[in-house]
Amino acid sequence: MPLIETKNIWKTYTMGSEQVHALSGVTITIEKGEYVAIMGPSGSGKSTLMNLIGCLDTPTQGEYYLNGKQVSTMNDDELAGIRNREIGFVFQTFNLLPRASALHNVELPLIYNGSASADRAAQAESALTKVELADRMHHKPTELSGGQRQRVAIARALVNNPSLLLADEPTGNLDSKTSIEIMRLIDDLHKQGNTIIIVTHERDIATRAHRVLSILDGQIASDELTPEDRRAVG
Amino acid sequence: MIAPVLLKIAVEALWANQLRSGLTLLGVVIGVTSVMTIISALEGMMGAIEEDLAVLGPTTFIVTKAGGVITSHEQWMEMMKRKPIDQKSVDLVSEGCELCERTCARVDGSARLKRGNNTMRRVFIGGSTFNLVDIADMEVAQGRFHSYEDDLYRRRVIFIGDLVREELFGDTDPIGKTLRLNGTKYTVCGVAKKRGTMFGESQDDFAIIPYGTHIKQFGAPGRRGIRMMIKAVSLERLEDAMDEVRMILRAQRHVPYDKPDDFTMLTADNILEALNSLTRIFRMGLIGISSISLVVGGIVVMNIMMVSVTERTREIGIRKAIGARQQHIMLQFLFEALVTTLFGGLIGIVLGYFIAEALVGMLDMQISPSTFAMVAGLSISTGIGIIFGLYPAMKAARLDPIKALSYE
Repeated sequence: MPLIETKNIWKTYTMGSEQVHALSGVTITIEKGEYVAIMGPSGSGKSTLMNLIGCLDTPTQGEYYLNGKQVSTMNDDELAGIRNREIGFVFQTFNLLPRASALHNVELPLIYNGSASADRAAQAESALTKVELADRMHHKPTELSGGQRQRVAIARALVNNPSLLLADEPTGNLDSKTSIEIMRLIDDLHKQGNTIIIVTHERDIATRAHRVLSILDGQIASDELTPEDRRAVG
Repeated sequence: MIAPVLLKIAVEALWANQLRSGLTLLGVVIGVTSVMTIISALEGMMGAIEEDLAVLGPTTFIVTKAGGVITSHEQWMEMMKRKPIDQKSVDLVSEGCELCERTCARVDGSARLKRGNNTMRRVFIGGSTFNLVDIADMEVAQGRFHSYEDDLYRRRVIFIGDLVREELFGDTDPIGKTLRLNGTKYTVCGVAKKRGTMFGESQDDFAIIPYGTHIKQFGAPGRRGIRMMIKAVSLERLEDAMDEVRMILRAQRHVPYDKPDDFTMLTADNILEALNSLTRIFRMGLIGISSISLVVGGIVVMNIMMVSVTERTREIGIRKAIGARQQHIMLQFLFEALVTTLFGGLIGIVLGYFIAEALVGMLDMQISPSTFAMVAGLSISTGIGIIFGLYPAMKAARLDPIKALSYE
């Protein structure tokens, strides 16, 4: 059973009297343990695809199965439950709560699945240790560097042991040195068995992944495996 | 349980925005304070009046020409046309009523009291039979009340209130001394125990002279008539005693069997009931007016919650993206509104109590904390929190996570 299976999904927005197809018939299959990059210029529909895969939105048409469950027909609260259990988000702008400590930010997904207070703290601490930030867990995001913030976000994404790590331009707001650090961390997470989808418009970020999906005008333009010797490392 | 965690998040958010939370609080505090002040003050005043009426005694009732609750102009006109209660009525009742232990006749007047250079104008001068002291709240501090003989021989003796004693005699012993009532010489036979003030007016600026003396001094009671204070033999027989008096008076006054009484009988309970129905109207009106400030407080809550939701759109987006359900977001914001209004309500209850105490204190009365006021205050503030917090909370809960995340 594939982790992700979309069957001819469409996303259509109505703008005034005009219908705009952000996605027009996308069919993809992603297996557990894959490391996939979704590439495309802005306006290509890659953000829409990411929102759909991340269960933040549902397709206008077509079917989407995550872990064998049909999520395209779910309501708001069911989707929230799926996001909580199955998906870990990493955003370009980190999206941490500014007033909360790193530890509290990482705890957040556990609050909404009803974990007990002691378990939350323990799990959040271990997630922060994984991203080497255990010594900074009581700092607020404003007291952390960009790279550290993104590490906190990654810890938050991992804390629930989700089926999928979904990173949307994770290095978009970082300098090149920090970008490499974060990408190494993501590479490592893949090696530890996590399924990773990374949305990017940078070729050298995309080539770290083992498979690159290019999207153009709402359709899959190409779906290529990156041969091992051509994968970017560093 | 997620709710306690959400409550904690709400409290932390309020704490992080102290100025804003404080301003919201203020709106609720003002509203609840004004309602609480009014409820507490009214309850306090009613309590004081009840206490005051209690001294009338449960077995005593009053017979007058007119009185009680007058609800219409017609009723008023009818009462004005009634024949006064006269001396004959008093005699008939005191002789004919077997269940009446004591019957006391009272007439009212006012006069100038003078001793040496000290003058008091328009002092209430009651005329009453000697047994008033046994029926009403009239404790003798010095000397004695009038006797049967004083009344019979229409002696010029006067029983004075504490304020009269103070103004006319100062520190000297007044018993046996004389004073002039509208120029006529009277001898002081006794002084009443100090009663203090009620509604800001002294209850001690009065004097009482024997009933017969009063008639001689001021003339026959005329259209206002006599007031009878009657003490029944026992509480159980109070109703029967009243019926007996009713029969006697109806016969004397030739009231046809199918017509209502053309006089009024009041017990302490009746008076209280009348007062209650009056204050009920008063209370509703005042609470209605002060409720407007509660609505304003509620609108402040709603307004600030709306601003808060808009400002924290991104936070809501983050929370939803990582798995918060609609109810989680809604509870978080509802808790913020509720904590604010409940806290404001508590402050309002305490403030309202103290303001009411100060207000009622000006009338020389005391109030005790009213459970009704507290329960009302807490339910009102909870109600405001829910009613005015619900819309902003629902708005927050229904935000689209994608739009919320991209909100700048």
